[in-house]
Amino acid sequence: MSTVALRWLHRNLFAKPFDTALSLVVIPVLAWAVYAFAHWILVDAHWEVVGGSLKVLMTGIYPADQLWRAWFSVATLCAMFGAGLGLSVRPGRAALAVAAMVAAAIAGTIAAAVGVSASLLTIASAALGVVAWVAVHHSKCDQRVVLAGLLAGVVAIFVVLSPPGFEVWGGLLLSVVLTIAVSILTLPFGILLALGRQSRIASVRVISTAYIETMRSVPLILVVYWIWIIVPLLSPDTSVPSLLRGMAGYALFFAAYVAEYVRSGLQAVPKGQIEAARSLAMNSWTLNVDIVLPQALRVVVPSLVGQVLDIFNGATLVFIIGLTDFLRAGQMILADPQNSGRTYEIYVFLFAVYLAIGGAITYASRRLEAHLARGSR
Amino acid sequence: MNAIQIPEVTTSPNVIVSISRLNKSFGAFHVLKDIDLDVGRGEVVVIIGASGSGKSTLIRCVNGLEMYQSGRLTVDGFNMPTEADREIGGEKELARIRKGVGMVFQQFNLFPHMSAIDNVAIAPIRVRGRKPDEAKATALRLLDRVGLRDHAHKLPAQLSGGQQQRVAIARSLAMEPHIMLFDEPTSALDPEMVGEVLDVMRELAREGMTMMIVTHEMGFAREVADRVVYIDHGRILEIGTPAEIFDRPTHERTKTFLSRVLRH
Ligand SMILES: Nc1ncnc2c1ncn2[C@@H]1O[C@H](COP(=O)(O)OP(=O)(O)OP(=O)(O)O)[C@@H](O)[C@H]1O
Ligand SMILES: [Mg+2]
Repeated sequence: MSTVALRWLHRNLFAKPFDTALSLVVIPVLAWAVYAFAHWILVDAHWEVVGGSLKVLMTGIYPADQLWRAWFSVATLCAMFGAGLGLSVRPGRAALAVAAMVAAAIAGTIAAAVGVSASLLTIASAALGVVAWVAVHHSKCDQRVVLAGLLAGVVAIFVVLSPPGFEVWGGLLLSVVLTIAVSILTLPFGILLALGRQSRIASVRVISTAYIETMRSVPLILVVYWIWIIVPLLSPDTSVPSLLRGMAGYALFFAAYVAEYVRSGLQAVPKGQIEAARSLAMNSWTLNVDIVLPQALRVVVPSLVGQVLDIFNGATLVFIIGLTDFLRAGQMILADPQNSGRTYEIYVFLFAVYLAIGGAITYASRRLEAHLARGSR
Repeated sequence: MNAIQIPEVTTSPNVIVSISRLNKSFGAFHVLKDIDLDVGRGEVVVIIGASGSGKSTLIRCVNGLEMYQSGRLTVDGFNMPTEADREIGGEKELARIRKGVGMVFQQFNLFPHMSAIDNVAIAPIRVRGRKPDEAKATALRLLDRVGLRDHAHKLPAQLSGGQQQRVAIARSLAMEPHIMLFDEPTSALDPEMVGEVLDVMRELAREGMTMMIVTHEMGFAREVADRVVYIDHGRILEIGTPAEIFDRPTHERTKTFLSRVLRH
């Protein structure tokens, strides 16, 4: 055993003089950094500030007496996530154990930091997610049914969250809901743009290409801000809430990227498929909807899931139109003089949550890629 | 069975495909030169010729997958629009013609994301507006006819080449075509699967289906063809019965070609 370890050390860290020198410098520095960070996290940091402001971090200024609406959203999101998993990941013992451990750790932390009722609600939401995961996996139901269910979930979240007004949506909830809504909205628009770019009608082709290239050459923040300003000018009589204007901006921007992904998928469909469809007298609509798009989208699903991460990270820019997303909520807490010394705590917490969500999305994208590669020809 | 279209009869009703002085180029490359050919209803025409002589291009013109520049091509009484016509429309005529013309490709071109039965049923549902369960019942009958009833719910990737090509034939038949085009239907197959596809085609010929077939299977051509067309560098050099072409070819080039392919 120890000889194996020694050999590993030798081969990986001390094989050549330069490696040895590098290892002698890097390892102590790294060890010191890890130790210092761990010490700070476990001993020095004052995590009460995170526990005390968790409501603001998660929901912004959403009215405290309406929080059940936020909890409904959390539970729905968990169920949707579970249903999505059910399509591609088998709920084996190990996977369920990991899910249970993560849920228990989060619930335990919440119990300590916020209270027992919040902790119980978290456990219930997680359990709902697991039930959805197992149910979808075992029912072997049609993908289209599940996708329709996911869409219904998003609509339900919007309906339940909206009564107190869109202005009060905030925190992580805002970031997540914005990301999901934008991801869905970009799909049809992006597909139309991709098809438009290959249209036989010259004007459609030119307009689609110009749109895509314009959006891809300007910064996101500019598009979001610009749409936010222009909508009230276009419709002076109705006031469209900032959130909806922001969503439109994000969707218009990211649709251009979706269009490029879809275009690469369209190009991957063999010419013989189109000739076969044409020789069966299919018109362009049927050809695209039944033959070309199902094959093209299959290729680009992992890229599209990867883009969800871009949208989530880009959602931090909504502060410029006055919305309070997760990052902005953290900064608002720090603006309170009472919390002035707690910058590190808040930012480490934000970092950890962004990392966890980003990691989960990346993992989902990789799994989907493997799943689709296995099912393809 | 389906709505009979009243064609604008411009040729004898016994002629289903009428080609006269047809010319086709890819850019500057003149592929088909002054093609004249009539195909009668119920006739089986086999087209032979060297690689690159324009066989595929010719039959692909018949269902409009390739555009031609000049000459006349009528199918089922409908005028096939020329390249110039298609720039300003012509989609309607094209769709009407294609409804009556089936095509089987060398590479099968089955839809990989659909089961065999869905491959066969999709066009009747989407193009002819059939009810899905009726279309599927018909599809199952057609799959049975090509000997694949038990494979109806498999994806193309789960079928052998010969089986895929038989599904492709069933898929074309589902549109109830008046004529079937075959572009080297057995060239992509392993030798042991060629027979099963040729059997299906033989059966179709016996039932009176009009067919235009590009093939290198000379034994099969001799057996099923009413007429054999020899194409050389984009020109029809010789047309005749199998006996005339295979046993008494008149052109030197036909003889050379046949001696080359018959030796194998
Ligand atoms: N899309 C195209 N663009 C340009 N040239 C083409 C195109 N398709 C075919 N050709 C050329 O036209 C000629 C005739 O092609 P075609 O495919 O009809 O030949 P073929 O007789 O079917 O040959 P094979 O037995 O190899 O299938 C060939 O020289 C080919 O290179
Ligand atoms: Mg060919």
